Amino acid sequence: MRQGACALAGSAALAASVERLSLVRVLARSTFDAANTSDYKALVCVFLDGGNDGANTIIPYDDYNAPGGYASVRALPGLAIPKSDLLPVTPPSGHGLKFGLHPSLVELQSLFNNQKLAVLCNTGTLVQPLTRALFQSGVGHPYQLFSHSDQVNQQQTAVATEPGQTGWGGRISDLMTGVNGAAPLPMAISTAGASLFTTGVATRHLVINPEIRLNEVLRVDYGTDFPAGSLAARRIAFERIRNDGGGKLVNAAADTIGQAVRAGEAIPTDPALPPVQAGQTDFPDMKLGNQLKQIAKLISVRANLGVHRQIFFCSLEGFDHHTSQHNAFNGHDVLLLQLSRALKAFYDATINLGVADQVTTFTLSDFGRTFEPSGTGAGVGSDHAWGNHHLILGDAVHGGDFYGNYPTLAVGGPDDADDRGRWIPTTSNDQYAATLALWFGLAPADLPAVFPFIGRFATPNLGFML
Amino acid sequence: MLKSPRHLFTKHRPRLPIALLALTAFCTLCFGQSGIGSGGPVLLTEANSTRAVALESLTLQRDPFPVISPSLLSSDRRTRIAVFAMNVDLYTGEAANAFTAEAEASGPRIFPLKVESVSRVPGFEGLTQITIRLDELMADAGDVLLRISLRGMTSNRVRIAVGHQGGGPPDDQGAIPTPAPEIPPAPRPLVTPNPYTGPATLADTVRFLEQATWGPTNAEVARVRALGFRAYLDEQLVAPVSSYPTMTLMPTDSNQGCQGASVHDCLRDNYSMYPLQTRFYKNAFYKPDQLRQRVAFALHQILTVSGRDMNQASWMVSYLQTLDRNAFGNFRTLLFETTLNPAMGSFLGTAANNKQRPNENFAREFLQLFSVGQDLLNADGTPQLDVAGNRVPTYDQATISNFARVFTGWYFAPPPAGAQGVINFIDPMMVIEANHDTGAKMLLNGTAVPPGQNTLQDLNAAIDNAFNHPNTGPFISQRLIRQLVTSNPSPAYVERVAAVFANNCAGYYPDSSCTSARGDLGAVVRAILLDPEARGDFKTDPDYGRLREPVLFISNICRAFNARGIGPGINNIVESDGYLNPQTVRMGQDVFRPTTVFGYFPSEYNVPGAGLKGPEFGILSSSTSLTRAGFGAQMSFRSIPMFADADTPNGTFINLTPLQSLADDPVQLVGALDALLMHGTMSPTMRDAITQAILVVPTSDPNHLRNRTQSAVYLVLTSPQYQVQR
Repeated sequence: MRQGACALAGSAALAASVERLSLVRVLARSTFDAANTSDYKALVCVFLDGGNDGANTIIPYDDYNAPGGYASVRALPGLAIPKSDLLPVTPPSGHGLKFGLHPSLVELQSLFNNQKLAVLCNTGTLVQPLTRALFQSGVGHPYQLFSHSDQVNQQQTAVATEPGQTGWGGRISDLMTGVNGAAPLPMAISTAGASLFTTGVATRHLVINPEIRLNEVLRVDYGTDFPAGSLAARRIAFERIRNDGGGKLVNAAADTIGQAVRAGEAIPTDPALPPVQAGQTDFPDMKLGNQLKQIAKLISVRANLGVHRQIFFCSLEGFDHHTSQHNAFNGHDVLLLQLSRALKAFYDATINLGVADQVTTFTLSDFGRTFEPSGTGAGVGSDHAWGNHHLILGDAVHGGDFYGNYPTLAVGGPDDADDRGRWIPTTSNDQYAATLALWFGLAPADLPAVFPFIGRFATPNLGFML
Repeated sequence: MLKSPRHLFTKHRPRLPIALLALTAFCTLCFGQSGIGSGGPVLLTEANSTRAVALESLTLQRDPFPVISPSLLSSDRRTRIAVFAMNVDLYTGEAANAFTAEAEASGPRIFPLKVESVSRVPGFEGLTQITIRLDELMADAGDVLLRISLRGMTSNRVRIAVGHQGGGPPDDQGAIPTPAPEIPPAPRPLVTPNPYTGPATLADTVRFLEQATWGPTNAEVARVRALGFRAYLDEQLVAPVSSYPTMTLMPTDSNQGCQGASVHDCLRDNYSMYPLQTRFYKNAFYKPDQLRQRVAFALHQILTVSGRDMNQASWMVSYLQTLDRNAFGNFRTLLFETTLNPAMGSFLGTAANNKQRPNENFAREFLQLFSVGQDLLNADGTPQLDVAGNRVPTYDQATISNFARVFTGWYFAPPPAGAQGVINFIDPMMVIEANHDTGAKMLLNGTAVPPGQNTLQDLNAAIDNAFNHPNTGPFISQRLIRQLVTSNPSPAYVERVAAVFANNCAGYYPDSSCTSARGDLGAVVRAILLDPEARGDFKTDPDYGRLREPVLFISNICRAFNARGIGPGINNIVESDGYLNPQTVRMGQDVFRPTTVFGYFPSEYNVPGAGLKGPEFGILSSSTSLTRAGFGAQMSFRSIPMFADADTPNGTFINLTPLQSLADDPVQLVGALDALLMHGTMSPTMRDAITQAILVVPTSDPNHLRNRTQSAVYLVLTSPQYQVQR
């Protein structure tokens, strides 16, 4: 009995530190074959911050009016998109059933129809495969489900049991950083602030501001060179002081500055992107467009920087529409418009740079939103939920189809975690991420180091990548 | 499960002298070197090395230690080790959670360790036994360097072997053996709290003003030094409130509100946050209610409303006034008033929330961010853990749904008299009973709300429920400590402040008029600022301090060098126009316009690789770190120029003239900057680097005084050491 109690306590203590164990694994492994990698690949994460309403992004078309379904739940409060406005698509895996994209996604409909864009349905943070019965019996609940901060965290850490400290992009960077040799830029780069996604155990990300010319983003202002020679003297002192160190927080600030200085010296001029061709979309001069443009510029100088693998993170905020989801200022329709145009512009840029089959762009988001709306009329919105639909874009994507399982749109139905249409994910975020990581070149043996729960799910490869 | 130390040292009495005294060389002189003995604990080592005198707490074996205890008496199988320290001065009631411990293995890998118990060594009352739990992930790490910290003062680092002996990081530079002295140190009496009624030291005054104001000035340092901290706090608690004047509510359609020639100015002054942001900086630079402003801004980052979604500056004013008014008031009043504030009602959707499909927005953030927090906490703010070692949620989705139903039935008050066609963002929201869900509800801790209550009754029940929850004191106290003093307070610090939150007569510094009230924010702030972990001339714990967030980075610089602007006419020196927000936006902080209800940066942000919280690091990026340096350059060498007919009517410049008189002597110049900006903690390397840089400008240069001063100021402002308030 006592022995049993000990064993229980021991295994529980281990369970509570899944992420920390995976950190050890990451540090212990370094199996990536750097010498044999001469090609280039990039992963670009587009985070839809606040929780994108997937139920209004990918909508049943043929089943629009099914009893208890989309129109019956969302039309009366005023959240439904009119059927006539939907942009229909016919995924081969849908057995002939049509779905509709949100009317803002004109460019994405065309990319889907050209097999460049795939949709992954009802994916989310999971500790283990679940059913409604299992979930309601208290089994397998991710830590702080439905909370913004924690679900953003788990989407980016791929550890759904605890508040993690490193992201899966960062951990891939830890394992594969050798492939970039002594490149002056780290593998992981964020244009959306100090993201967890790009934070590694040992490797640090670069965080750049999207609105300024790339060569000016990372420039140090050493002041006026008057009298002559004083600037050079300050520059030397600046470096000495920065390398001097202090407490841990001082050192962290110094590291951040140092990495910026190094990267800035490596990018002396603002790269020019190839001109936009007929039929292509230019980057919208908005939040997401500017970030993706900056990323395209960084990709354009990959050869000069000597990098073979890059991981980017950008984000579009404002998706937390508890109320007034349709508002014309920052409503869902407006944000998706920006998303569609920015993704198309970025895809076009990768064509012009000759890397459309080497760059894969994908979405993440805090969570989906309740199928059942909150409020009514102009104030209508939706609350925090769980499983969500995601988009994967690029020439290396098996596009033009849906993956995963579209949920049964029934409040209190088999996919509902409770009674408001919070879909229990039928695909784990870990599987989604692992599929991307495998394409990127992460060794299959290294998957558990980056995705500690991957072994609990049916397959680490969902098949949406070529 | 752990045997008492008394048992350990009486029954095995002969072992202690063997363990300690046999390793001893008399070494009182040793402690003057390498920082050891400068106020922190001293861990005992063997006579001739930095290897700790450390014993497995159950078997009394020396290292190397297994991380899994060989003893079946340890129910969780973790190894505990006992180490011994001198120079440990404790306050009444101070126990294990006042200490933090950390081991560094090669890599380097850092392992924060838990101090589980602290006791005097029987028969050697001047020594303290500290029992530390090892981390199972240390596994077979070999030698590690261990240190402990108490109230921001760290010990020497000593070597212990985990798994096997050998390897590990090299000793710290200057590290020496610190064996127990031959003559056992005398028992140390419990520390008596400093009343802070008398004059203070220069360094501690600078530190205090970094924590309590928008930045020390030479004049205020001299004044507060003489006055004493306690009297200064008493003065600040009653200082006139600068705050924000109520503004005219404009039509929601700005095309209607702004017509004619001066549309730009009209939009700026009414339909943007410009007037509040400039007022914010002017209040910070020039107004005397410094502490109230700091606390109100801290509260803004806890009970956040963002102007990002606000059509007009006037819509934010009553919210900001609420924070100012209640900064030293009662937290329950603050919770109640912010809940019913129209800006909050608009921001998180309580306004118009209806019993039919209530939205959960406010309910969730009210619990997660404004009151109890999401995990059950111990009294010292550490998370409670279940038997499996997992955190325990404070509430679940059902609780959120119930609170969402409580917060139904509110709507904006009718427009004020004489103002038609506007939304009332001045008065608290009002009740529409028909929209309120009158069903029974279940709140926290199994508290039931009976059916049939009206909107206000339900609201009061919910606010009482959250306000009185045991989590709220430690949760809010920790957030405030992080905002004012340090990102990683010891649990004991949080516990002391939370005790004052629970009862304003508790703690070291109760006011004579205290009433045992819960939630007295003035008393909480006083307890935070006078706490022994906050006070002292300097802190040696490398975990201590907080990154200056952009507004504090700017306000500290501007106040230290008496920032001014240029008015119309000739030689017309006036106040800065306060238009500094464009600067902080580029550093990631858009004043009163945080991205979300989670504020300008994540309150739980982990500094990558440091194993520490550092919320402000959430907006310190490659780009923004250089933007800060750019601001240092701009203010040192140039200024923010005025453009009389633009948004910068006066501009902002700092005045380095008083410092220039010192610039012939680099020691004096650097010393003055060190004292005012870094309370004397500037490292020797940094002093030398600055000195070398400014000596490049020869005294023969006619402008050498100015140029040297500019260079020196620039190098301090841009240094990593200055970025962190310690």
